[in-house]
Amino acid sequence: MPLDTSTYALSLLRLDGRRWNELRRIHAQISTQAAADGSAYLEMGNTKVICTVSGPSEGRRGQGQGGEGGKARIEVEVNLAGFAGVERKKRARGDRRIAELQHTLTQAYTSTLLTHLYPHSTILITLHILSLDGSLLAATLNAATLALIDAGIPMSNYLVACTAGSTSFEESDNADPLLDLNGQEEQELPFVTVGILGDGDKVSVLVMESRVQMSRLETMLVVAVDGCKRVREILDGVVREHGRNMVEGAVG
Amino acid sequence: MSMRVGKEEVKEGESESEDVNESERLPAPPKPPRQTHPTTTNSHDYDSTSDIDMDIDEPTHSVKRARKSVVTPGELVTSDPQWMRGHGTYIPPSTTSILSTVAGTVLKTNKLLSVTPLRARYTPEIGDLVVGRIVEVQARRWKVDVAAALLAALPLSAINLPGGILRKRTAVDELNIRTFFTEGDLLVAEVQALFQDGSAGLHTRSLKYGKLRNGYFLSVSGTGGSRGRKGGVARSRRQVFTLTTANGGGEVDVILGVNGYIWISKHVNSAQGNKDISITKLEEQVSLGVYSSQNEEIAPATRREIARVTGVIRALVENGVGVDEDMVVRGYEACQEVDLEEEGERSDWLGGEKGRRVVELAMGAMVT
Repeated sequence: MPLDTSTYALSLLRLDGRRWNELRRIHAQISTQAAADGSAYLEMGNTKVICTVSGPSEGRRGQGQGGEGGKARIEVEVNLAGFAGVERKKRARGDRRIAELQHTLTQAYTSTLLTHLYPHSTILITLHILSLDGSLLAATLNAATLALIDAGIPMSNYLVACTAGSTSFEESDNADPLLDLNGQEEQELPFVTVGILGDGDKVSVLVMESRVQMSRLETMLVVAVDGCKRVREILDGVVREHGRNMVEGAVG
Repeated sequence: MSMRVGKEEVKEGESESEDVNESERLPAPPKPPRQTHPTTTNSHDYDSTSDIDMDIDEPTHSVKRARKSVVTPGELVTSDPQWMRGHGTYIPPSTTSILSTVAGTVLKTNKLLSVTPLRARYTPEIGDLVVGRIVEVQARRWKVDVAAALLAALPLSAINLPGGILRKRTAVDELNIRTFFTEGDLLVAEVQALFQDGSAGLHTRSLKYGKLRNGYFLSVSGTGGSRGRKGGVARSRRQVFTLTTANGGGEVDVILGVNGYIWISKHVNSAQGNKDISITKLEEQVSLGVYSSQNEEIAPATRREIARVTGVIRALVENGVGVDEDMVVRGYEACQEVDLEEEGERSDWLGGEKGRRVVELAMGAMVT
């Protein structure tokens, strides 16, 4: 289904009624599963992710101990539910896309978490994607960040992510950047996923799988970084709210 | 007509989203900005976080102000170079400002700044009383799960031999290592040493420690080793105590491991339970029985009371109250009161509303 670009040019409203710089609704909860060391549930629009963190703990047998150089090893498991997408698909065990997603997450958190504090141990991040509607990598990163905070694992700053696309129909110069693409937009438009560390401009994850004109990339990056900062404020609010409840206590 | 993220934010944190909301309410400019953000960052950016913090800590809607404010990862704790950084903090390279790395409360010890996480795995410290489970048997030691980042080690030389014989451990002992503890056994031990990587070395060289039986295991981990954290076992003077239960349940032993593992068992009255034995008589008292895995006969009434104590501890944790001897005793008494009030069908389940009432009653008893 092609993106109805004519309407966009006229009303400057996207398919779901957002403007170019609007995020979808973000809803997040932390400490959702009591049995896990850390857990979180995150919705970015219709993309819904559950994340559980177990560890730091002694790694599974036969896999060696921890990472190299006295650091904790980070393992990521992504499970895409069969009912997550529009059509029901049975995915093979070693799906390339999922493997790549896991690798990206592992790399991102290996550099963000202070793994040297837990030598010889393993931190396992398990993600379940319940519903998929674009910005998958961004949603998994945000959910994992919340779950890791809940697990009390030290990190240098929040790792938050967001996507940005460009309305690049034809070679026209007046392409607009779009923030936080949904599933339909992702299929039509070139987009980039940006993960930044904290509220600075330190980009820590940058993934782009589509072609786009060079001149548009810079704008897309700027918009994505700006979106990340807004996401950080929302997530920070969730963590603070949770922290306040924990400190004050439910009773008394 | 459009989905606004701003509306949703208000729900999460009412005060701080005011200005966020304002900026987003501005009419969205049709023309996107070209490079509005600096591509480089500097340490001054972090100072702005402290301003945000101020707004959050002074909510207009809340009457009750948090006794301790919560810091989140990446938040500036101080830029004053006089402070030393402790656990849960981080100094970015070529700066003097201390940032938090976890979500938690700031703890100041003289000139040491540390951040205590809201929830974290247990960090062993020397002298801690822990309850653990054997997960692995090696040549001269056991590996014990104590809910820490790494498995703890219990060397063969750090246990009491049956009969209390004091001698060097021989190859025969090594071969018979499974007669002492085998995989899955529960034990209570003390942290004797900490290794370089933060893992613990345990010992059970006291009559108080050793194999656990005749009881029920309960885990409230995730809050283990809580220094004033809510809903966990706090380090205290008395972590092993005996409750005299009602309803013909007799005496019930409770062992609160600092690591958040708890053991609740039938109190066995024997010479072994006698803790003030002189060291010379020690060998006579420790019989072969200490490493037995055979449970004794436990009366149904006792089982019921063990379950009730378990329910009380679960209710305490669910309602965010720290678990210690005092609270367990009060909780148990409160539970009996609530049971008396209940008419008709009595439920022994201590979750939900009943659990909350028990905890409230126990907390009320503490205040008065």
